[in-house]
Amino acid sequence: MKKGYLYTIVFIAVVSIVFSGVLAAVNAAYKSRIERNVLNAEKASVLYSMGIEADDAVAVFNERVTQKDIEGIYLYSAVNDEGVMVYSIPFEGSGLWGTIRGYISVDQGLSTIKGIAFTEQNETPGLGGRIEEEWYKEQFRGIGIDKPLVYGEDSGIDAITGATSTSNAILQIMNNFIDTTLKELEEADGK
Amino acid sequence: MGNSLKTVFYRNLWGENPVIRQILGICSALAVTNRTVNSLVMGVGLMFVTAFSSLTLSALREHIPDRIRMIVQTLVIAAYVIIVDIFIKANLPEISKALGPYVGLIITNCIIMGRAEAFARKNPPVISFFDGLFAGIGYTVILLGIALIREILGFGTIFGFSINFIDFTKWTIMVVPPGAFFMIAIFIWIASGIQNRRLKKKEAK
Repeated sequence: MKKGYLYTIVFIAVVSIVFSGVLAAVNAAYKSRIERNVLNAEKASVLYSMGIEADDAVAVFNERVTQKDIEGIYLYSAVNDEGVMVYSIPFEGSGLWGTIRGYISVDQGLSTIKGIAFTEQNETPGLGGRIEEEWYKEQFRGIGIDKPLVYGEDSGIDAITGATSTSNAILQIMNNFIDTTLKELEEADGK
Repeated sequence: MGNSLKTVFYRNLWGENPVIRQILGICSALAVTNRTVNSLVMGVGLMFVTAFSSLTLSALREHIPDRIRMIVQTLVIAAYVIIVDIFIKANLPEISKALGPYVGLIITNCIIMGRAEAFARKNPPVISFFDGLFAGIGYTVILLGIALIREILGFGTIFGFSINFIDFTKWTIMVVPPGAFFMIAIFIWIASGIQNRRLKKKEAK
């Protein structure tokens, strides 16, 4: 219907304020819960990358994992289910659509990857998003890092069908992680 | 056609089904239909948003100035989508992770604004609510149909459960977007075929 300018301006202002208020209220009501979910998911990811199975991730995390700061590199360390001392180190890199974050675990000698877990990714659901699936993550357990990672029968690592760009991005992130973060850690550890 | 509950139901599920008759919401129909679970959550999210945005916009329809009605529609729709997003993040964190950015993209789904423009603007709140809800159901049913075929042929699973006892080579094309184009086209083809045949029969009488 035809309305004057003043009415239009007042109307849009009122509607904006009301809906912003509602959203702010909903956000405030759920904020702590969402933050707790994120934190718990983070702890579960650290445990998964280390190779520790846990029903109650938070309790097991608090009991077995210690946080360390080695020359500015923050990492988690724990003895995993195989009885091996492992380091879980956060990583970050670009995927196809956005930043991929997560944890990579390595053994104390920094020679083998013990596992990988993702905490944040925006890859295409059902395609690149399948990096979250068990079979994909499990194949990185126990891979030696004396040479750069590649897909194929020789390495025993499979890419994801239909998600070549995301698959390649993961390997690039991991190789980058091995070349930089692990090198730094090795040097820092030697001191 | 009047606007009784029954005609609104029929129209949104078949006669003017958003996906296969009006060809709306194709973007998300292509994107999330390789897994039935993703399609279901997306569909339920859309049902909620179309229903409540139609209800709200219809209740405000006497007061919304015409020249800014699309701005108001977008604002209302966006508010509901953010509520859905927060709700899923707080209560279903796993699914929120699997759907990634698609929940936020419900805002851009043409079906919601289509219903707001075509129906909620001219009709009372309660029937608008059901119009939105049924449009969401019409969308969800088609998405689930497409997703079921794509997931079975592409992954060999239904709702994530393996159907390994039937052994066959998986169709990779069903996992990638072109598979969705083919499936949607086939659905539209069948729906148009049936509809045309009905029209011909009516004319013959």
